[in-house]
Amino acid sequence: MNEHISESAALYALGLLEPPETNAIDAHVAACEACSQALAQAYDDVAAAASAQPQYAAPASLDARVGSLWTPPKKHGWSLRQLGAIAALLAIALLPTAYLLHREQTMHRAMLADAGLFARMASSPHRMVAFTGGADAKVVYGNDGSWYGVIVRGATRPLRLVWMHDGQRTMLGQVQSRGDLAMIYLPESHRMEHLALADGDRVVAEAKLAF
Amino acid sequence: MQAHAEDSALADAFAAHERWAFDEAYARYASLLYSTAYHVVGNGEDAEDVVHDALARIWRSPGAYTRSRGAIRSFLVVCVRNEAVSRVRSKQRRLRLVERVAAEPEEHDELRVVDVIEHDRLRNAMTKLPPEQRRPLELAYFEQLSHTEIARTLDQPLGTVKSRIAMGLRKLGAALQPPS
Repeated sequence: MNEHISESAALYALGLLEPPETNAIDAHVAACEACSQALAQAYDDVAAAASAQPQYAAPASLDARVGSLWTPPKKHGWSLRQLGAIAALLAIALLPTAYLLHREQTMHRAMLADAGLFARMASSPHRMVAFTGGADAKVVYGNDGSWYGVIVRGATRPLRLVWMHDGQRTMLGQVQSRGDLAMIYLPESHRMEHLALADGDRVVAEAKLAF
Repeated sequence: MQAHAEDSALADAFAAHERWAFDEAYARYASLLYSTAYHVVGNGEDAEDVVHDALARIWRSPGAYTRSRGAIRSFLVVCVRNEAVSRVRSKQRRLRLVERVAAEPEEHDELRVVDVIEHDRLRNAMTKLPPEQRRPLELAYFEQLSHTEIARTLDQPLGTVKSRIAMGLRKLGAALQPPS
């Protein structure tokens, strides 16, 4: 396809074209900035239409299925004999490697969480509140209470983030160490007005959040 | 365009196929994607499969999204919607618009509506289009007819149908875009 796609952009975005036509447009758009912008505009128009229809919460079963798409599956089905052999191998030769691998994976997960939090802070209106008590910590949270990040400086012991509500405590997760800093990021949440950091069962710092 | 509403870090990471960006994009747009699929296929089970399959296709195709495709949000909506349209066509389930509108309230009883304010914005916006643009766009958007089927249904030349759909969609998008 050498000519510009013009109104075919709308047909493409609406899913009205057959594969040969879409393939031709894909090839053309890859090399034509004007048509690339026209296609992006048509995408935005379709998305605007979709957004203007009633919105429903995605079911939890979908969340789990989608999450597993890009999370490597855990392997199952090893026999006891195989497990024993692997354990022996690890103990004899691979333990240092396993340790390094585990540390790398932990760091990778931590980096993913950090990157998610930083991206959220860069793109979403948010507030920051300092914890009071025995921890140098701050909570960053979306103005709508849909996400939270907690940063602790100089924690010498592993701390847990706790939601204080209705006379109860709900454990939200472990604050993960990043050397001098420790962090936890909750990308999806509901509004929480009272958070605490706990060392075991003992609350060491609290933060009251305003919305 | 919507690109300004998303941070470029997320778009760059999504284009680079980074896992956290897929997690983040899904967290942000899960409801919109599921709703988009639901409105095409008409039931929750198929809608769930559609979103899953569309995202699986994107995840397995590095390079499927590039910054030139615009906002991630729009890209994902179009991918999910096209997956849903393909599914409906393959099952030969082309429901009439009127039947679907009549069936919607009962079908949605078990679902949690998260945005009731938006309820009729699309149909209201559609009614403001000139009839010659509205009808082909309705057939395309709500009934998933192809452009050749629309031309045949309306007894109009294919080129006319194409340009009317394009003009209608642009007006609709402009009317529904949030103010920047």
